[in-house]
Formats: sequence, C-alpha cells, structure tokens
Amino acid sequence: MTKKINLPNFNFKNILIGIYIIWYREILIYVRNREKFFTSIFLPLLLTLIFGTGLKNIFPMTNLPYDFSEFFFSGILGASIATLAITSTMSIVWDREFGFLKEILVSPISRSSIALGKILGATTTALIEGLLLLLVAPSLNLHLSFISYLMSAIIIFLISFGMASLGLIIASNIKKTESFNIIIQVLIAPLVFLSGAFFPVNNGPFWILKLSHYNPLTYGINALRWMILSQKIPTNIISNFTTNNLYVSLLICIVFDMIISLIAIYRFKQIR
Amino acid sequence: MTNNLNTLNTEQSTFSEDTSNEIIQVNNLVKHYNGIKAVKGISFSVKRGEIFGFLGPNGAGKTTTINMLCTLTPPTSGDAYINGYNILKQPEEVRRSIGLVFQENTLDNHLTAEENLFLHASLYNVETKDFIKRKIEMFKLFELWERRKDFVNTFSGGMKRRLELARALIPQPKILFLDEPTVGLDPQTRKKIWEYLFNIRKKKNVTIFLTTQYLNEAESCDRVAIIDHGEIIALDTPENLKKMIGGDIITIITNDNEKAEFEVKNKFPHINLKRIGKEIKIEVNNGNRFLPLLIKTLTPQVLSVELRQPTLEDVFLKLTGRQIREENKEDNNFLNFINFLNIFNENDQEN
Repeated sequence: MTKKINLPNFNFKNILIGIYIIWYREILIYVRNREKFFTSIFLPLLLTLIFGTGLKNIFPMTNLPYDFSEFFFSGILGASIATLAITSTMSIVWDREFGFLKEILVSPISRSSIALGKILGATTTALIEGLLLLLVAPSLNLHLSFISYLMSAIIIFLISFGMASLGLIIASNIKKTESFNIIIQVLIAPLVFLSGAFFPVNNGPFWILKLSHYNPLTYGINALRWMILSQKIPTNIISNFTTNNLYVSLLICIVFDMIISLIAIYRFKQIR
Repeated sequence: MTNNLNTLNTEQSTFSEDTSNEIIQVNNLVKHYNGIKAVKGISFSVKRGEIFGFLGPNGAGKTTTINMLCTLTPPTSGDAYINGYNILKQPEEVRRSIGLVFQENTLDNHLTAEENLFLHASLYNVETKDFIKRKIEMFKLFELWERRKDFVNTFSGGMKRRLELARALIPQPKILFLDEPTVGLDPQTRKKIWEYLFNIRKKKNVTIFLTTQYLNEAESCDRVAIIDHGEIIALDTPENLKKMIGGDIITIITNDNEKAEFEVKNKFPHINLKRIGKEIKIEVNNGNRFLPLLIKTLTPQVLSVELRQPTLEDVFLKLTGRQIREENKEDNNFLNFINFLNIFNENDQEN
C-alpha cells in the first residue's frame, strides 16, 4: 500500500511547467541586469578584436598556415560561453543567501525540474552571448553559412549545458557567494587554459596534451573550431590544433553533458 | 494533480485529504542534528480553523518542528499528518495544502511585488484566471495595491512581511505556517500584522500555526504549546495556562531581599516564592488581601510593590524556572550552532 504512494509522480507536463517557470525567472533577471548583460558581451568582443588582432601583429607568425585571429576567435568564443555558463549558476548561491531558494524548494515543483530549469537558464544566457559573438565572425573574414551558424549554436548549447551542470554541482555545495567566486575562478583557469582555447595544446608539452584529454571543455572547443573554421581552413591544418575530429568531439561532448547533468540533478536533490 | 487525487483507489483513501476536526496531527516527532537533540519526541494536534501558537525561547526547536511539518527536514523518527497527508509519504500533497512564511524574508528582490505573486502562483499551479482574481483581493487585503508594480527591494520590513503573507495565501492553502512572523518588526507593525492574521482567519477560513517568542502574541492565540529544549512542557488555551499559576502575582523589591525571602518563607511556608534578579515574585490566591499581611511581616524596607494577573511569562517561569527573554542571550551560542548545521536557518532578519 505504502509502496504505491512512494512512487514518484512522473507527470511529464508538471515537470516541463516547473522547468519553464524556473527558466523564465532566470532569463527575466538576466535581461533586467543590464550591466551584466553588456559586460558579458563586451568583454569577449574586446578580447577578440583588440587582444586577438594585437597578438597577431606583435608576433608575425608567418610560419602558421592559418590566421591567428581566426584561431583565437573560436577559442575565445568557447571559453567565454563556458565561463558565463558556469558563473550564471551563481544565482543559486545568491538565492540561498537571500532566502529565495527556500521559497522554490518548498514549492510542489520537483527538484529535478528546478535543477534543469536552472541549468537551462544558465545555458540560455550563454547561448545568447554566443550567438551575438558569432555575428562578429564576418568582420574577421569568417563567413558562416546558415547551416554552420545553426550547428555552431547547437555546439555552443552543448558546451554551455555541460558547464552549467558543472556549475550547479558546485553551487549546490556552497553557501556563500564569495566562496563560490573563488572556487569558480580556481576551476575556470585550468579548464580554459588546458582546453586549447588560447593556444594549440598539440604543440605544447606532453603533459599539457595529456591533461587536456581529461578536460571536457577541450572537446567542446574542438567541435566549435571544426564547425567555424572548416569552411576556410583545410582539414589537415585544423587537426593540427584540435585533439579529435568533429564527430568524436561531439560524441564526447554529448556523453559528458548527459552524465554531468544527471550528477547535478542528483546533487541538487540532496540540498536541505 | 487533482485528477490524480480523484483516481486514487480505495486502499489509498486512508491517506487522502480528510475533513476531520484535527488538521495537524503530530505523533512523537524526533529530530537529531549530529547528536544534538533538537526535538525530543513531541505529540500534539491542531484543530481546523484555530490559531495555534508555538511559544518558546530561541533554540527550543520551534523552527525545526515547522521545517519537519512542512517536509523541508526529514524527522529522525515519528510522523505527522497535515490535512490528512503523511509528511513522509505524501510530501507533495502536504506542500499543496500549506502556505509557509519563514522567519527570514524569502521574496525575490529582483522582481516586483506582482511578479513575486505570479511566480508563486505558477509554482503552485494556480490558473491564470484565479490568480488575477486572488491577486487583486490579496493586494487590497494587505494594502499593497498601490505598490504592486514596485520592486521588492524598495519595500520596508513590514511591507515585505505583508507581501509574504499575501503570497502564501495565493494558492489558497488550508494551513498557514508562520515562523516568527513578527520578528524584527517594530511594535506598531507587529500589531498590524496580527490584525491581518485575524482578518484572514475570518475571511479565508485558514488554520494558522505560528511560532513566537513574544508572550503577548502567544496570548492572542487560541491555543498555545510551550516548548523548551525540544519538548512540549504545556499545551492549552492561554487562559487555562494562566490558571496553572492559581491566583495573582506579587512582585516586591526590598533593600534586603535575602532577609525578606527568609522572613516570608518562615511566616508563610506554603507560599510559592521565587527570587528573580532584584525582585521577589510570589504567587498567591487572593493577592489583594495577602498584600497588606505581607508588607506587615517584612522588616526590610519595601522599595516597590506590584500586584497583577499572571501572564504567560509567569507560566513559562513556573515551568522552566527561567525567563523566556533571558534565555535569548544564554542560548545564542547554541542557536548559532544549530543554524550552522541547518543551512536554511541562517538568520537574515535585516532583510
């Protein structure tokens, strides 16, 4: 008799509604926070246009068979959306500090819906940033077809989803905004630098290459590079600065997303 | 949700919503936090439509009890039924039956008053048509109609509290749980909140379960449970609790309390006497007749005399040997430790 009642209520519609409500609030707050909105777009733009072109001019890498700013653009795009996706999950720590998390946790919405809503909210903010940044690509002589623009968007979504889940796992374990900021910084640095976003890991020392194989972000950035650059740069040159080909990278990305999001939901359910 | 409830078969019907007189039933509820016994097996029941008060000092286990009844914290042992639903087996149904206002503010400061209500309504699956109707009613009832489009971070403490009450009532709960609803508010606002509470009880026919450490607030409740160190030490109407004292209270201050105490004990051996700080407190049946006798007996100089009806403070003192207010200071460390263990208990009273 009691067993029947213990069965979780798998009402698909309720779960979707729950995800939608949590997602809606995240987006509402993101759009309202104009400073965050503009800096999240302005900073990567600044890096790409000024830093990227500046580096290219300072080091005339004539021996490189590709344009450094093209390489840099795809890397910074992946790195900045990953960073934004992770830091966006800070809203949970924030909600907890200001008490609002309690209001959500005590509601009849299932924990899985809340977790997914939060992950998708962070993913969406990163996706908005990524799509806007992709619009800059033509100014770097990277002309994307509609299909590759769409495919890049999907890859950006996959990267952000995984990183947002990772952020949620950390946010579920942390109670103070300050500690979250510190931990995130410590986490993001190796994640970004060992992903090949700023320099090709293939040319670096063996240990960097080895470590980057264990970095989930490497595969996201691989995939993004293949998608953005394949129309302009020959395949054999792209494989010089990516660790795997497009399909393997995409597959690893998707598998990572599935596993990490399940862990995130599991972890979020244990919040008291 | 409602469809699911209707299709529950007969063998489950014992667990579904009932209309009996007892809307909350608690059986031997226990909660231990890492070896600390926060709640030591409490049992009580709350009747439909009453205002039930949980009175006790900080750290007595009030919030822990509310958290268990609202399915936020699982009990170590024991169980409870809210609106006929078991808190362990039917947490979702329990949550749909209750409205909750926490000790600390849980509003979303980034949103407007209206958006806060809307978000809550969506979380509790309230239909848009009903929501619009109830929203207007609630804003009018809590006198927030003019401020409905303003951001919550511009609200005062009292307004935030009112908005939280309004929000909790949007899904039309059967029971309203209020954890220290007036803590951190000034006396005027506190009084006003109580007017709202009486008003919603009358208009909305909800049962109100609240915790408080203010004795005058406990006196406004229909029934009061006094809780100390995780145990219920008395439960009755405020009037009956005060009858436990039996008569009147005399407090005197003399220039030599020790001597005065000795003399009174000598002359009236059956009298209930206690020394608290600078005062001597005496419980007697006919205070107005006893007082002249008392004064005549005392050789030390009497500095002040007071004769009054007993209050819940006296009841608490009689039962625990301590004053509820003094306890606040002593128990602060204990309280902080409990808060440290329970992440949600962090006091954020300024918000």
